[in-house]
Amino acid sequence: MLVLALCALAAKAQNNFKVPPYETFKLKNGLTVYLMEQHEVPLINVSAVFDAGSINDGERYGLASLTADALLFGTQKYTKAQIEEMTDYVGASLSTYASKDNAGLAASFAVKDQEKLFELIQQVLIHPVFDATEFDKHKQRTLLELAQAKESPRQVIGNYYNTFLFGNFPYATPTTGSKSTVEKIDVAAVKAFYQSNYTTGKGAISIVGDFKAADMKKKITALFGEWKTAPARMVKRVAPNLEFDKARVLLVNKDDARETTFMIGGKGIDYNSPDYVPVVVINTILGGRFTSWLNDALRVNSGLTYGAGSRFTRYKYAGTFGISTFTKNSTTVPAIDMALSVLDSLHKTGINEEILASAKAYVKGDFPPDYESAGALARLLTDMFTYNFDESFINTFQSKVDGLTVAQAKEIIATYFPKDKLQFVFVGKASEIKEQLKKYGEVSEKQIKADGF
Amino acid sequence: MKLRKLLIAAAAFTGLGVAHAQTRPEDVKGFTLANGMKFLVLEDHSIPTANMYLFWKVGSRNEVHGITGLSHFFEHMMFNGSKNYGPKQFDRVMEANGGSNNAYTSENVTVYTDWFQKDALETIFKLESDRIGHLSIDPKMVESERGVVLSERSTGLENSNYRLLGELVQSVAFQEHPYMFPVIGFESDIKSWTQSDLENYFKTYYSPNNATVVVAGDIKFDEVKKLADQYMAPLPARGLPPKIRTVEPPQNGERRVTTYKDITTPNIILAYHVPETAHADYYALDLFSSLLSSGNSSRLVKSLVMDTTIASSVSTGLDNGFDPTLFVVFGVAGDNVSAPDLEKAIEKQIDMVIQNGVTDAELQKVKNQKLMEFYHTLETINGKANSLGTYDVFFGDYKKMFEAPENYKKVTVDDIKRVAAQYFTERNRTVGYLLPEKSK
Repeated sequence: MLVLALCALAAKAQNNFKVPPYETFKLKNGLTVYLMEQHEVPLINVSAVFDAGSINDGERYGLASLTADALLFGTQKYTKAQIEEMTDYVGASLSTYASKDNAGLAASFAVKDQEKLFELIQQVLIHPVFDATEFDKHKQRTLLELAQAKESPRQVIGNYYNTFLFGNFPYATPTTGSKSTVEKIDVAAVKAFYQSNYTTGKGAISIVGDFKAADMKKKITALFGEWKTAPARMVKRVAPNLEFDKARVLLVNKDDARETTFMIGGKGIDYNSPDYVPVVVINTILGGRFTSWLNDALRVNSGLTYGAGSRFTRYKYAGTFGISTFTKNSTTVPAIDMALSVLDSLHKTGINEEILASAKAYVKGDFPPDYESAGALARLLTDMFTYNFDESFINTFQSKVDGLTVAQAKEIIATYFPKDKLQFVFVGKASEIKEQLKKYGEVSEKQIKADGF
Repeated sequence: MKLRKLLIAAAAFTGLGVAHAQTRPEDVKGFTLANGMKFLVLEDHSIPTANMYLFWKVGSRNEVHGITGLSHFFEHMMFNGSKNYGPKQFDRVMEANGGSNNAYTSENVTVYTDWFQKDALETIFKLESDRIGHLSIDPKMVESERGVVLSERSTGLENSNYRLLGELVQSVAFQEHPYMFPVIGFESDIKSWTQSDLENYFKTYYSPNNATVVVAGDIKFDEVKKLADQYMAPLPARGLPPKIRTVEPPQNGERRVTTYKDITTPNIILAYHVPETAHADYYALDLFSSLLSSGNSSRLVKSLVMDTTIASSVSTGLDNGFDPTLFVVFGVAGDNVSAPDLEKAIEKQIDMVIQNGVTDAELQKVKNQKLMEFYHTLETINGKANSLGTYDVFFGDYKKMFEAPENYKKVTVDDIKRVAAQYFTERNRTVGYLLPEKSK
């Protein structure tokens, strides 16, 4: 039987700011389903997620990502080429991915093609065959892509930063994998990972688009109701400790670098932090928009860089804070010093009423367009499942932004914005910058072409 | 195309939007002010947000040696102060009103994009009108902004092999027409533009009759008209900018260019001269691009990336252009595959289309894809505004946006074979190699 719950979300009158109504229920195998009608264009969007992210990789970094990729390498009924031909023919998109906290599938297609596409999605999720020939080719491509990514510092600096900050916690490992670990992953490992991690008990699927919810409910129940998987695993995880006892510097040498790309920061907040909204408002002032203090100082006032900012990256069990920017080799130290003095001024000088009001207006204005398309709404629903937030968070969003006072902001800054014992990661030309970096902390060095991060 | 800002990924909070009917051509209402500034207005009340997209018909094609990069530089300088809003004020006022902005520059156009909460419409008109009518070109701001643009140029070359090779190929494929210039400009030019270069350029190209303005979202047509009359109509019209005189002569022989970087495998570009966007062959060429590289079942991706490991990636594209432009094929070689081998493999696929054409089903596939792209464009007010302005500027009429699915539908398998044979010849080709420093 279906367990039915109707959620009317966030019907806040102010600013007409609300999530369209949606319906959620669980199939008897435990799979959670979300349905939201959106009739602006004749499209249907699907997002499915499972507790199959790279946090489960163990020593085989890249396993979750390769497994997600390999779901599309053929099913009981269709070869990889047939899946692609069928999808491309109707202009649909069908993709799979793994992140740190989940893995999943995203699809978008025309209403008239729904029979075919839903059947494909069912095949991909329930009956993948993990074709060995396709897997081997894909592995070869992946190994090359891992080497190519290091041609662009901006593409890889985040991986170095996570490895440097998260230590032994699995968020430290690269979701994309590394050469030495990907080389060892085979089809058997991928199949085993699929069987133990793609479970209905820890899975959800959302459908947003041009349909009638009652009809869709029948369809989804018919497609996925009989799916039998292994029972969901209960993994107990202890949040990592991101309190650092000293400043540390990681220098990643790239011999041909003309500029230094860097991140500076430390501990952030996890996905369910009750103070996320005020933290975002404050970070907007520091480094979250064009007129932010960091961009103003490093770009607008001094012309040291094309862009500077800061952000809180949240995962389920922990998060990081990082300032990021880049500048030519010769201005590396002035840029770092300026970034540090801006962070320092947040603590020493703090913020006033006027800037807080501006940041509040910006934050409130910024996100409606992010959730305008049906695809974005589908992802929102499955994010709620993965990270375990609900309508109460959404309902209080506006009031949390509006209610933030200068006094509270001061506390938020003291509590959540790293002040000292900062962690520094630089990708640049070591021979030109290494000596100057020693003043920031104990320097360790890696070569960008070396395996992993 | 160059962006003014790096895009900062937005925080995920919540969603909104209610169901609305699909946009039709008659939903777009337009008017032109006496000074020649053209407006297109689309009411869309799905979210409490609106936007204003200003399409200026100025880009690097309007530049000459010594002032390359100026169009893009104005994309930056337009935010650095005007009569009633000092330096930084444009962004500060906009952000304090819950708005944000960006801008982009191509060889052909400079586009300013403002997003805001609906109540801020008048503020946006004030800000835009002030900088169009009374831009300050403060020498101090010019100096610091030069540094920003030099950093933008350097970080593009540092992080994108395509940028590096694409600019080189452009400079060789065009021997006479200003499409030879990189949009961001030459490093030496960026360092030496003069104050009078800037003042002249602004006067020449930022005249109200050289723009199409699109306003879309949770606003009312009458309100836009009233504000346009109030804030934009008083701006004096100047003469239209001079026409580009230089016409690129037909290429009559393959051109080749090579450069090096510390990379893993060769990157290559094959570029072919094709007509301007408004030309009748545009739709067939665009579909040909999809046939080659849209989706894993497309000809190049399937044969070079999926079925074999000749390439690690391959893509194709056709830039919009007021003048005859380039059709570009970009490929990154697989492990132990040489640049000439990758080049031959790409050419073989193109030759197969020239020899044997494509099937009806294959053509139908890419037409279906175009229809889906159209729907996705119509899903957001930003998609609508950008697309309406692009069609108006490059195709001469915003209605062409709505006709696009029909125009793609009309393309036949014979058209595909014909454009492939006509444009994809050896003599019309420029080949660029970006090779690893150490020969493998």
